[in-house]
Amino acid sequence: MNPPVLDIRGLSINYQTAIGPLQALRDVNLVVPEGKIIGIVGESGCGKSTLISAIIRLLAPNAQIGQGSVCFKGEDLLSLSPEQMRSLRGDKISMVFQDPMTSLNPVLTIGRQMSDVQYRSKSSRADKKARSVMMLERVGIPDPDTQLQRYPHHLSGGMRQRVAIAMALMAEPALLIADEPTTALDATLEVQIIHRLKELQREFGCSILFISHHLGVIAELCDEVVVMYAGEVVESGSLREVFINPKHPYTQKLLECDPARIAQPTRELPVIEGSLPDLLNLPDGCIFRERCSKATARCGTEQPLLSGDHHQAACHLLEPSP
Amino acid sequence: MSTVLTVRDLRVRYTVSRGFVDVVHGVSLDINRGETTAIVGESGSGKTTLAMALCGLVPVYGGEVCFDGEQLKRDRRNRLSPDRKRVALMFQDPLGSLNPRMTIRKALAEPFRIHRTGSQDPDGEALRLLAMVGLGDDFADRYPHQLSGGQARRVGVARALALRPDILIADEPTAGLDVSIQGEVLNLLSRLQQEMGLGILMITHNLNVVRHVADQMAIMYLGRFIEQGNSQQIFSQPRHPYTAALLSANPSPDPNAQSGQIELLGDVPSLLQRPSGCEFHTRCPRAQARCRSSFPDLTTSTGKQQFNCFFPMGE
Amino acid sequence: MTKPHGLIFHTFSGLKKDPLGMAGFVLVSIILLLTIFAPWLAPYDPLDINVHNRLSSPSAAHWLGTDQLGRDILSRVLFGGQVALKVSLIAISVSMAIGLVLGMLAGLGPRWLDRILVILFDTVRSFPTIMFALAIVALTGPSLNTVIGVIIITSIPVYARVVRTQTRALRERDFILAERAMGASTGRILRDHVLPNIAAPLFILASMDVPAVVGMEAGLSFLGLGVSPPTPSWGSILNDGYSYLRNSPWPLIAGGIPLIAVTLGFTFFGESLRDIFDPKLRRKDQ
Repeated sequence: MNPPVLDIRGLSINYQTAIGPLQALRDVNLVVPEGKIIGIVGESGCGKSTLISAIIRLLAPNAQIGQGSVCFKGEDLLSLSPEQMRSLRGDKISMVFQDPMTSLNPVLTIGRQMSDVQYRSKSSRADKKARSVMMLERVGIPDPDTQLQRYPHHLSGGMRQRVAIAMALMAEPALLIADEPTTALDATLEVQIIHRLKELQREFGCSILFISHHLGVIAELCDEVVVMYAGEVVESGSLREVFINPKHPYTQKLLECDPARIAQPTRELPVIEGSLPDLLNLPDGCIFRERCSKATARCGTEQPLLSGDHHQAACHLLEPSP
Repeated sequence: MSTVLTVRDLRVRYTVSRGFVDVVHGVSLDINRGETTAIVGESGSGKTTLAMALCGLVPVYGGEVCFDGEQLKRDRRNRLSPDRKRVALMFQDPLGSLNPRMTIRKALAEPFRIHRTGSQDPDGEALRLLAMVGLGDDFADRYPHQLSGGQARRVGVARALALRPDILIADEPTAGLDVSIQGEVLNLLSRLQQEMGLGILMITHNLNVVRHVADQMAIMYLGRFIEQGNSQQIFSQPRHPYTAALLSANPSPDPNAQSGQIELLGDVPSLLQRPSGCEFHTRCPRAQARCRSSFPDLTTSTGKQQFNCFFPMGE
Repeated sequence: MTKPHGLIFHTFSGLKKDPLGMAGFVLVSIILLLTIFAPWLAPYDPLDINVHNRLSSPSAAHWLGTDQLGRDILSRVLFGGQVALKVSLIAISVSMAIGLVLGMLAGLGPRWLDRILVILFDTVRSFPTIMFALAIVALTGPSLNTVIGVIIITSIPVYARVVRTQTRALRERDFILAERAMGASTGRILRDHVLPNIAAPLFILASMDVPAVVGMEAGLSFLGLGVSPPTPSWGSILNDGYSYLRNSPWPLIAGGIPLIAVTLGFTFFGESLRDIFDPKLRRKDQ
């Protein structure tokens, strides 16, 4: 058994602000096995951006890594020097962002950018171009030779995102991190891109860490899923386990709220009462207690730990009563 | 059910260097009080332009719009002039539609100030509006950048409904919102709709939401409605192949669900070069020779479901 | 109304974090105070001639020495500051006001008006300032008012262009569209929505323009196109100092220092202001 591509243990990160430390991530554990697609589900404020920034080591200057390790193929990324980290990015670890215009330079042609991404390779210009054409074909862009000469603003949102994926996979990375890559796209495009990603993943054999708050897309694509809430991992497991049999009250509520899951049309859509806890001033006990309809007294004093074997959730109600 | 807005054959045309584009190409619909009509379509279908045209923000090239039976006139720049107190618009970007340098209190008082509706106390009205959308008084003195997406969205609702309009046009009201917050905003709109007898025109590409909140829906492609009617009927039995493809493209969060997605061929054609005949034929998996040569007439099936197709689904 | 209070508080808390900006602010304040209170602070009448004591080095009696006519340089520098202040105040406020109106018209008005105004702006800006000044002086004769007039005319296009660009950018913003959708008139939109959003950059531009204007006045006066003798102006002090450099370097130094101080002070302060008032740099809790 090969070591997991990504093994995050006990990661805790604070942001220093003028009013005190903001506890963005607390004791996060995450494993991305080789050749698997792991989804992270979470709403705004759950800490997924911080998590990704931590993995690629591009955190804001006021971020403080309290403790924990982020092991990429056995090596702790947190202990690497900036140069070592830089040599990994784009090569062994790639990213696709939500807004493809962030990863595409508006003043350079697609062809130029795709060649630039191959800067580590010693092959000739013609070879690089051929590889660019091949990658564009793989992501389903018609007439790739012509597209190489165009600029990003000539392409539609869906096409740009495909180019971004092509660029990310060019170096055949071990880990592809996709941060809400389809959130800004229409449903039909979303589906096409998800299918492509699945095919490409099977072909290249890379692992994918896929972040989204769109539950349908996660269900379509991922093998395993991790649910995050306000900086903690509250549930994790295989996709079927978590989505069919959610153990944590937050996951249960989240799935209930998704309008796609509600069979009977209704005018009174379910909501999750309350609002996110203040990360500057964490409540005692369980992080979800204030919004949980099943909370007990214990939930207000003791923090639950993840329990279970493969399908884990952090909730007192799961533990067998003493 | 009284009809408050009637649109007949509305057209919006932009002239560009290479010719012209018909962004809205002959749209007809009715909006009734107390009902929600959803307009769905992909980006570039023209739905936002349609909303802007109805609010008089872009010039109109053709067609008629009647508000409460009276035909709306056009101004010098060919824009419609609806009674702005009775038609309200909610924008897609909730934060962007608020002046970053104005407090929420001032922003909410704007409709009253603009129309000088004799309210002696615009500030008091602002607080009342905040309460209406479930936000506390402390929000009044905040600035837009201090609000979350969901809170800004609610302020948008409050501002739009300040003068108790007859129609609310909501452009992507759930865009960018977390799933748990979407429900709050939609429930709020539902409640206010019932209280005020509001007619809502909702522009969205989120079909899951449409299934729950829309009474009527219309599917837009290249500036035209290719199918429209009762939303439940359309969801259970889509007739136009594009509608069927859109509905099937919704990934379900149920891992057991069969993924029977109909994949469409190719990309949306450019508005500068509209395909001949039925404009959808370039991407339609059911297209035949007839579809390339002539445009299908309007078919009205039972229950007033309307569509334009030679070979609709279910036949 | 908490807003004006908040504005000043916000400025100061921002300045506290930026030592360079704070230094600029302090420098600017000192210069302003010295200039405003010149009549009380100056030890001598700047026009007092005392040929016996010409071109003397700094001493206890004359802190910066005397010029070629025995006039106390320090007093002349202080009063020269008054000239600089008067010129910058009038020139900047008038050109900013006119530039604001023209810029908003160009930005929000019909296309044809925009085109005409832009051509106008570019034409005026294409004249080298000195040539322009020479031409006007040939018509009207040298005077401080000529200087102010020339500076105003050449500055208007600069402000107008900035206002035009900002207005055009704002025009398409959603909140402006929202106001139009609510039925707001163009006047209301300009007054309540466009103006507040462009005012900050405009004032910052103005504060960074002060050194340029002061420099222009000094330059024109240096060439003899501005203030007529014996009125002291930093430029004329420099001019005198230049002529008598071999006899004494002090007039030159004395004329140059205030110019340098104004430039540094206003530039640091202005840049700091720009960073403070950039909404994108603002944190969520401010």
